[in-house]
Amino acid sequence: MNSNPTNSTPANGRRYWRSLDELADTPEFKDWLHREFPSGASEMVEDGSSRRHFLKIMSASFALAGVATLGAGCRRPEEKLVPYGKQPENYTYGESQYFATAMPTRTGAIPLVVKSYEGRPVKIEGNALFPGSNGSTDRYAQASILDLYDPDRARHFKHDGKEVSREEALGFLDELSKKFAANSGEGLSFLAESSTSPSRARLQKIIAQKFPQSKWFNYDAIDSRIHSRAAGFAFWPNDQGAIRVARPVFHFDKAKVILSLDCDFLGGEDDAHNHIQKFAAGRKAGEGMSRLYSVESLFTLTGANADHRLRVAASMVGQIAETISAYCQPHPVPAPTTFESKWAHECANDLLKFGKDALVIAGQRQPLEVHLLAHAINSALGAVGHTIEFFGTPNDYSAFDSYNPDWAHLNSDGFDALVILGGNPKYVLNGLPKAKTTIRLGYYEDETAEQSDWRFPATHYLESWGDAKTSDGTLVPIQPLIQPLFGGITELEFLARIAGESQTSAYEIVQETFWYAAYPEVPILNRIPVSSVDNFHTHSESWKKFLFNGFLEGSAPKLATLPNDQFMVTPKLASVSTSTKDNLEVVFFRDAKVDDGRYANNGWMQELPDPVTKMTWDNAVLISRKTARELGVANGDLVEITLNGRKVVGPIWTQPGMADYSLGLALGYGREKVGRVGNGVGFNAYKIFSGKYIETGATIRKTGETHTLACTQHHWSMEGRPAVREANLEEFIKEPMFAQEKFHGVEPPIVQSLYPNPLDEAKKTALHQWGMTVDLNACVGCGTCIVACQSENNIPIVGKDQVLRGREMHWMRVDRYFTSNPAKRNDASIFSMKSDINQTDENQQFAEWIDDVQAVNQPMMCQMCETAPCENVCPVAATVHDQEGLNVMAYNRCIGTRYCSNNCPYKVRRFNYLDFNKRPLTELKGPIYSTTLTHKTEGVPDILRWWKDPNSGMRTEDEWDLIKLSKNPDVTVRMRGVMEKCTYCTQRIEHAKIAQKAKAGASDNVRLSEAAGTVPKTACQQACPAGAIVFGDVSDADSAVSKLKLLPQNYSVLGDLLTKPRTTYLARIRNPNPAMPDYQHEPFSTEEYESHSLTKKGNS
Amino acid sequence: MIFPKWTNSLPLVLGAIAALAGAGVAAGVTFYLTPKYTRAGYQPVQPVPFSHKIHAGQLGLDCRYCHNAVEKSWFANLPGASTCMNCHNQVLKDDPRLQIVRDSASNNVPVPWIQVHKTPDYVYFNHSVHVRRGISCVECHGRVDQMEEVRHVKSFSMSFCLDCHRDPAAAIRPVDKVTKLDWQWSTNADEAAKLQDVNGKKFVHDWKVESLQSCSACHR
Repeated sequence: MNSNPTNSTPANGRRYWRSLDELADTPEFKDWLHREFPSGASEMVEDGSSRRHFLKIMSASFALAGVATLGAGCRRPEEKLVPYGKQPENYTYGESQYFATAMPTRTGAIPLVVKSYEGRPVKIEGNALFPGSNGSTDRYAQASILDLYDPDRARHFKHDGKEVSREEALGFLDELSKKFAANSGEGLSFLAESSTSPSRARLQKIIAQKFPQSKWFNYDAIDSRIHSRAAGFAFWPNDQGAIRVARPVFHFDKAKVILSLDCDFLGGEDDAHNHIQKFAAGRKAGEGMSRLYSVESLFTLTGANADHRLRVAASMVGQIAETISAYCQPHPVPAPTTFESKWAHECANDLLKFGKDALVIAGQRQPLEVHLLAHAINSALGAVGHTIEFFGTPNDYSAFDSYNPDWAHLNSDGFDALVILGGNPKYVLNGLPKAKTTIRLGYYEDETAEQSDWRFPATHYLESWGDAKTSDGTLVPIQPLIQPLFGGITELEFLARIAGESQTSAYEIVQETFWYAAYPEVPILNRIPVSSVDNFHTHSESWKKFLFNGFLEGSAPKLATLPNDQFMVTPKLASVSTSTKDNLEVVFFRDAKVDDGRYANNGWMQELPDPVTKMTWDNAVLISRKTARELGVANGDLVEITLNGRKVVGPIWTQPGMADYSLGLALGYGREKVGRVGNGVGFNAYKIFSGKYIETGATIRKTGETHTLACTQHHWSMEGRPAVREANLEEFIKEPMFAQEKFHGVEPPIVQSLYPNPLDEAKKTALHQWGMTVDLNACVGCGTCIVACQSENNIPIVGKDQVLRGREMHWMRVDRYFTSNPAKRNDASIFSMKSDINQTDENQQFAEWIDDVQAVNQPMMCQMCETAPCENVCPVAATVHDQEGLNVMAYNRCIGTRYCSNNCPYKVRRFNYLDFNKRPLTELKGPIYSTTLTHKTEGVPDILRWWKDPNSGMRTEDEWDLIKLSKNPDVTVRMRGVMEKCTYCTQRIEHAKIAQKAKAGASDNVRLSEAAGTVPKTACQQACPAGAIVFGDVSDADSAVSKLKLLPQNYSVLGDLLTKPRTTYLARIRNPNPAMPDYQHEPFSTEEYESHSLTKKGNS
Repeated sequence: MIFPKWTNSLPLVLGAIAALAGAGVAAGVTFYLTPKYTRAGYQPVQPVPFSHKIHAGQLGLDCRYCHNAVEKSWFANLPGASTCMNCHNQVLKDDPRLQIVRDSASNNVPVPWIQVHKTPDYVYFNHSVHVRRGISCVECHGRVDQMEEVRHVKSFSMSFCLDCHRDPAAAIRPVDKVTKLDWQWSTNADEAAKLQDVNGKKFVHDWKVESLQSCSACHR
């Protein structure tokens, strides 16, 4: 890795009045200041003439100062250029560098390539070199960069709440190590988050050897290890008493039929972005595309993308699984009678039809028995070894006890010392175990830190050396891109100090682990391969290659293929009571934004609309329409949920497609001590959580109060407009052009345009013509693109109050529409006022049509219309076309009339109503209208702060300094009163064009071409796990985007307005099974659209 | 008679004064508040009395010896002090004027050079694409090789950029002559202008020089 730039002075000063500051430091000035009167002032009294003289001089100097201000004051302030003292090698000033690293997750890691500009990481991308990766990430990885620049991070080593020096704190660890070395670790215990780091596992072993009496517990609020446990249980039961674990690998790309038993593998499960990639690969529109069945209670992304979705309580999923399993077995079973059993029967028939090409997967929140049933079905179908494979994990994270959240047996006498590594047990477990000394390594000064005696600030993964194993077991390095901003300590160094290791540098520890992994046959001594004396060079080259590639080639374990008859356990389901309105079921789930609470202080995540509810800055009690009706509650009503004697209060949100008598509670909100962004957002569902994700026996009571929820999309229905076009597979095969022919929203033919479009002339000479396609069949609606766009394009966080006013700034959104069966509506016709679907936003929650819905997702951003309606109405020509078909925004020209936004049919333009970049984080949640005239920040009136630094606004110094670091230097940061929108990442296009032209030099090889790999990717495209977004040159017939635009299912949204959008969509294809009891011969959206057009025909 | 006779001409006089004042204000604003005044002519005193005249002019050092990122990056960097020390550990090695540079090279504390040329933050100017496509340093920075202390000679206003982008043929030159600030097509001014016209047009055509005038070329 190249050395980081170590400028001690910022490259561009923000202190515009530096010269006056400096003046104030000159000896002359100080001298003048320290004398009571200026020189000559004392003469005034005695001598009139010298007084007159003094006044003369003074007035002359004021006049001169005025003249000088006229001249010098108009000049821009003096700025410094600070080069290196020692020029680093292989570093080009002003050019970004890219480093391979990885983001550790609970059960894996995401290999990344991080862009670094002048020594600070600015953008995270997936590592496309990694085998099987398409260079995508998930939304958590995209947002994690903001955590690095979080002003609320833990910054100090603390003892009993008081700051101590790093040396003192580290000295304490050394003492601790010595103390427990003496009594072999009696009374020492560790409570850690799960990790896949082999280095940590190694240190863990060293600790276990050195302190044999010590205890190590892993605890995660969201525990996905059930997949490994179940696989081990199913295929290697009780191997000499020890439970073996086997990591399942699901081949969603190979599977032709997938049955998800409450498994949100596209959303809430670990490793979802890999699943999305594989799932999308198996669902290419056309013959052979896969079919997805989903049995679930919450409406998840997986359910939204399913061809058949069975809505049942989560506790009933096991019974459905049992029924399906029974129908998959050869022995006779009773004929189906109920809707559910018919569903299960036909689903089982379909699974049997595809046999080894089928895949059944059970969800993380389901109990072990359901997982075993899933494996039993897979085994019966012959899918094991085909669509599902396993690799044995050498007990990396199972040899140590999983922590039992029942504290009782521990609390009796307590520990001597409790070491907490990451996590937030106080918050997720509602309490800490008793210990004489609690030592905490954590990223925030949070709930747990508050109760800890010693607090160690943890480093961000972008600041640390470390390692991890991805979900397929490949070893990946975590290498730092920046020195720890606040001097924290890495987990490895922390553990090495407790272990009393002589080598405590995380870098050395990781390197040593690498030697063990890369050269298992070579003995290692003193951290260098022993036989390396002669060929040390090769070894150090392989270490460098490891860091360069970001993974160790071939380190993934071999997949174990099992004979199918090895399935040995017949699961026995625990009996469950049917939930009713007085015996509600509660389902706890990992939030799509804040995860288990770890991203609660991440403004991007708080403001990201939930993929399904489109809710920002809150969680809610998700409930079905019928249940809400029976309980007499409506959206926003605060209710008190009682479960096992524990209570929590949260707002109601009616979720279309929810199972009846089931409540969905997202974990991770209601943080009390996390920081300026996350404190007090939402309610804390952990208060009634006891480690079981599905529980029955809850009751709710209306409190009579209400809470306002900020959603970014109120319209649930498309209201008859064919924005999203869908067809069933059979129809698509018969009528491939359906998207253009069946829907009237096609472009009318242009005979002769009255006014020639200047772009048509410019097109003739331009080098490229940019365009995009969005494949709605691949898009699952996960929202990664939104965060990627926010990170790339410096999009500000606006806060809940502003979202409520519709002022969110996301350049791209993912529209989610619910469509319903017209037969279930009051009035099938969509244009009838009596139709349920035309209810007001508030009333939709009571309409029956929302019970059984289909959902569609549509990423929506600037469509780059060739005849852009926004351009015609701009009075100052701030938005115009460039010659390559981009609708560009010149921020400096914009005067903020917002005419363009009003005239945009796609509603993709965003206006800076306030100076969002200067608003302090504490003001994001509430309606606060402070002005610079009255407001004080850090005790200083804002007007004075403005005088000193006109840019900082009301942000406190630490916020301001950190937010500047987090911005992408290639994109202008917009101010109040300016319109903005998606630019197709024009900065990336220009960067690529400039690079190509510079390379061309005195030649005409200036065109970017996909064949040469010089066409850039947009941020959304690069981040998209499904590969749904394709950007490129539409004037190049060989480009991917040109080929996609020729597909029959390609269509323009609102093309009938003749906007000629450059972004087009590929229609969505559903693949339902005609034998199923819930089969629809057409997708609901198509039926809806037709019911609308029929009415119109009838009227005309 | 209420008003004396001279008041008859008062409106005229007042009008003339107003017109003069207006013209004065307009002239003042155009002169004093435009980049022609606010930028051109700026010549701050640098912490180290480095002379481009000696280094680039008399010694004939290529611009890219020190500004080595100019062909690769948007930014024409200032050299690290270690670059200066390549020569100055031999030449003038005890000169007190170079104390800051020596300190910088040994302690890795940057020399606080004062920025002379700067485009606004909303302008994304890129050096590499200009110098590698035949636009000489001299077009924007003037005869730096004749400057003792660097002086901002051109206005760097938007129209300054557009003038060239509208007619790149008038400025483009062979790529290998980009850093030769005194280079001319010919010593004869008339002939030089003629050759520039002919060759400029040829280069623009042959190299497919776009010299974009759309907003996105500079503003992002």
